[in-house]
Amino acid sequence: MSPNRPELPKEFVASHKRRRMMDAIVDLSAERGYEATKIADIVRRAGVARKTLYDNFDGKEDLFLAAIGAAVAEAQGRVERACTTAEGVWQNRVEAGLEAFLGFVAEQPALARMCMVEALSATPASAARYDDALRGFVELLKRSTPAETSLSDTIEETLVGGVAWILNQQIRRGEAAEAEELLPELSEFVLSPYHGVAEIGSIPQSESDSTVADSNS
Amino acid sequence: MITGLTEVLFEVGYQRTTVSLIGQRASVSKSDFYKHFESKDDCFFAAYEDAIERIREQVLAACGKYAKSQWPSRVRAGIESLLSTLAKDPALASISLVEGLRAGRGVYDRYQAAVESFVAYLRDGAPAGPGGEEVPEATDEAVVGGIASLLGRRVLAGDAEQIDQLLPEVLEFALTPYLGSDEARRIISAG
Repeated sequence: MSPNRPELPKEFVASHKRRRMMDAIVDLSAERGYEATKIADIVRRAGVARKTLYDNFDGKEDLFLAAIGAAVAEAQGRVERACTTAEGVWQNRVEAGLEAFLGFVAEQPALARMCMVEALSATPASAARYDDALRGFVELLKRSTPAETSLSDTIEETLVGGVAWILNQQIRRGEAAEAEELLPELSEFVLSPYHGVAEIGSIPQSESDSTVADSNS
Repeated sequence: MITGLTEVLFEVGYQRTTVSLIGQRASVSKSDFYKHFESKDDCFFAAYEDAIERIREQVLAACGKYAKSQWPSRVRAGIESLLSTLAKDPALASISLVEGLRAGRGVYDRYQAAVESFVAYLRDGAPAGPGGEEVPEATDEAVVGGIASLLGRRVLAGDAEQIDQLLPEVLEFALTPYLGSDEARRIISAG
């Protein structure tokens, strides 16, 4: 090693290597699936020694779970920030959260594939992480909607599951980059059970419609 | 052998299901097993198709009692039959909704296709949305996928036998995008 090379702080190097190994398993599992991804491929892609991997992680599954954990935290952070900063009516919060999540999928297709496709089928532990993440989004949805519109936990869980299903399909078709195009349909889908669909969207139009309907009935 | 595999799978999970265990349960020798199936996975595929077919038959028979014009009743009957079929047979629920995702990519694709196949039944005769505008295709898929995801999570949590108690909520979830929440709730409470 050149004596002139400035030495980087040890912690920086260590965390950078951890990051590289996590990135490697994200990319490899997106390219060929979790099952077909081998330790040898990961260390080669990350440019680290095999020993470094085992110093940091118990093995492939542990690394995979760490990568899922980081990706889920990033996605949930984005959604939460979007929900809390959205202004106006509560529907804007839900829509902003959904938009942030679709943005995450579009910008980070490999991360999205790992969390939403591979995690489901890779191992029981990764499926459990997927489950936890889903529950986290159910909580976010619950917090973004006013108490008086409250739906049962089961229905909110099913709404989040439905959105996840649509994105799972989108990612599997290789169309993650176009995820944001789903925003209008998905926000209508998520918001409709909270009150009649007629009240959503073009509000003045629908309100006059329902008034007419009411006076006719 | 298919029944044997389905039972063993339910008890020990996909990873620990072996050809010997299946053979023991079905009272067939290993060599007999291999006369019918190339491998555990091959048997799993057959069992998976069989499970989906059994569920589909029940659901379609229930829907078939109503005409296309009675769409809400058809959906209700279909979902009711889906939930009770799964609640009565936790091993069936497990293979179709949980183990199907755990058994590698080939089966995972079949799981997806099986769930997708229910979209057509839901869409058939579905009314335009409460606003009068056609309900987007993504909604049909999200309804079916959302139900599959919910049921899978309940089965995984060991609550397969109580799955039929979810009927009102699953039904509300399924009908609301098409009828609006007021009408959906009215239909559910009318029983």
